[in-house]
Amino acid sequence: MGKTIIDAHNVSKTYKETAIPVRALQDVHLHIEEGEFVALVGPSGSGKSTLLNMIGGLDEPTSGTVFVDGVEITKLRENKLIDFRLQNIGFVFQSFNLIPVLTSRENIGFVLQLQKVAKKDREKRVLELLREVGLEEKINSRPGELSGGQQQRVAVARALASKPKIILADEPTANLDSKSASNLLDIMAKLNKEEKITFLFSTHDQRVIEKARRVITLVDGKVDSDVQQKPT
Amino acid sequence: MFLKLAWLNIWRNGRRTMITVASVFFAVLLAITFRSITDGVYENMIHNVVSYSSGYLQIHKNGYWGEQSIDNSFEVDEELSKSLLDNPNVTNLMPRLETFALSSFADKTKGVMVLGINPTSEKEVNQLNEKVIEGIYFESNSTDQILIGSGLAEQLNAKVNDTLVLIGQGYHASSAAGKFNIAGILKLGSPELNSNVIYMPLKASQYLHGAGNRLTSLSIMLGKTSDLESSKKAIENSIDTVAYEVMTWKQMMPEMDQFIEADSSGHYIVIGILYIIISFGLFGTLLMMTFERNREFGILIAIGMKKHLLAYVVLLESIMISLMGCLMGVLGGTLIVHLFTEYPVEFGGTLREVYEDYGIEPIIYFSGNIRIFIYQTLVVLVLASLLALYPGYKVLRIKPVDAINS
Ligand SMILES: Nc1ncnc2c1ncn2[C@@H]1O[C@H](COP(=O)(O)OP(=O)(O)OP(=O)(O)O)[C@@H](O)[C@H]1O
Ligand SMILES: [Mg+2]
Repeated sequence: MGKTIIDAHNVSKTYKETAIPVRALQDVHLHIEEGEFVALVGPSGSGKSTLLNMIGGLDEPTSGTVFVDGVEITKLRENKLIDFRLQNIGFVFQSFNLIPVLTSRENIGFVLQLQKVAKKDREKRVLELLREVGLEEKINSRPGELSGGQQQRVAVARALASKPKIILADEPTANLDSKSASNLLDIMAKLNKEEKITFLFSTHDQRVIEKARRVITLVDGKVDSDVQQKPT
Repeated sequence: MFLKLAWLNIWRNGRRTMITVASVFFAVLLAITFRSITDGVYENMIHNVVSYSSGYLQIHKNGYWGEQSIDNSFEVDEELSKSLLDNPNVTNLMPRLETFALSSFADKTKGVMVLGINPTSEKEVNQLNEKVIEGIYFESNSTDQILIGSGLAEQLNAKVNDTLVLIGQGYHASSAAGKFNIAGILKLGSPELNSNVIYMPLKASQYLHGAGNRLTSLSIMLGKTSDLESSKKAIENSIDTVAYEVMTWKQMMPEMDQFIEADSSGHYIVIGILYIIISFGLFGTLLMMTFERNREFGILIAIGMKKHLLAYVVLLESIMISLMGCLMGVLGGTLIVHLFTEYPVEFGGTLREVYEDYGIEPIIYFSGNIRIFIYQTLVVLVLASLLALYPGYKVLRIKPVDAINS
């Protein structure tokens, strides 16, 4: 058995701000090991985004604990948590991930600068990352000059920049056509294979689901099924 | 990196930024011009008044100001003048012997102030010679010539070349009496002075009063008049403060100082209103800039940027916008002040007559005092920082999930 990278115990989340409290997650257990490539699926409103946010420390569970790489992130104070994310977790959101005024180079370099990486190493790493996602010729383009698929690839490159242990992606392909979507998934799969980066992504797209090696299905805030499969 | 990010951010909506910059620019320009004019008027007024009266600073025998009598006079010595002139900010010294006497001509008698002065140094400092409207300015070595104010001449019914008799008290109760020839009649700005003063060469006055080499006061003119207090300190350090007292014009003419203070507080209100107006504009821009990027802030926090760094970027944006406007305003203000100093504006009408009556040139003076510029810049910077507090606070309160979903 590999090393545990995500360990969620009894995670529940109830939104109380609404008129009727919404139980978005109910006693979710989740165990993911280093190097896994996991799809999180389920109907709309089943709690996929909520679960990803809990694991990424963007929001606090109402009860339960989350360990990421052995650290109980549900106990970390805000600034510690932000630092933890910077060093260990990469994020890709559905769309508009990038800072619009910065070029691809600067968007990726930004994370490295937050990590205080020296300028020379930064340059090298940015080039390397853009090559990985096949966009080295777009190094000086701003997000507005890129297609949606290209923007998502830059976002993946940025998520990778800090050499995180896991990348959390909430419907990264939702706004992409099927070709760009499968292209993005191929890149993610390659990174997973070659760099041993753990991916956990939510999706509705059947073709994307097929590329995962493990599929966790949420229904009404509970884990409904958790199956290993052979990716196509 | 944050500087660059802030800079790029403010140009996302270039038009809005330009409008905000322009409002800061106009406010700073107006404030500088306004301050420059009002300060210029004050500085000119002070200069006019002190050059005839106290000087910016004055040295007396210790205790003279409390009891202004010729018995409280002091001997000038070379060493004193030399150590005063060693101070780089001291431009001129005006020795004076100030006494009171009765003047009579024919059947008229009047109490007068007798100012023993050095004709050359007064000519240099306040162009006393140009105030002569009849007759001539006296010579330094003359022993019996005097200049009298035109008001006094009228009251005594005396004309140029008439002979006045002066009777007063000399040094240590000796009697002082003499006959003097009116060399010229002066039209002085201050009505008070104009109807009461008699100028006499210092030597003649000292002789009249049996006062040897003594002075009642030594007035000091300064180059940088804004360094009043520090110059006073410097002088106090260089002379014997047991024997002498050093006073500023503010101490000797507190009414004028208070008048200026009171008058300027009105100006502060005007400038304050100006800045309040631009504050609203800047604040609105900052709020919009912050709120429309809420989601972006959420993402930045998610990828590992601390909130205080985001708040710092917001602060930088505020400072950049206002500093741009401010620097342009300072530049424009410098041009205006420079222009009007080179090519002074004379005004006309009744104001001109009033000014000329008081012996002040009818010119709008612009003060080029660097403090005005520094002060306005500081005010704008403080405003920009204060106005960034609220957006900055909002940024610190962002919940990344809510922001990303917004
Ligand atoms: N901030 C919130 N306040 C109140 N309720 C919320 C909030 N965020 C999510 N919910 C509710 O929690 C439940 C789970 O939402 P979540 O966004 O996790 O679902 P999801 O599986 O990601 O759905 P989708 O596939 O549509 O993205 C839903 O019923 C949703 O309405
Ligand atoms: Mg969702």
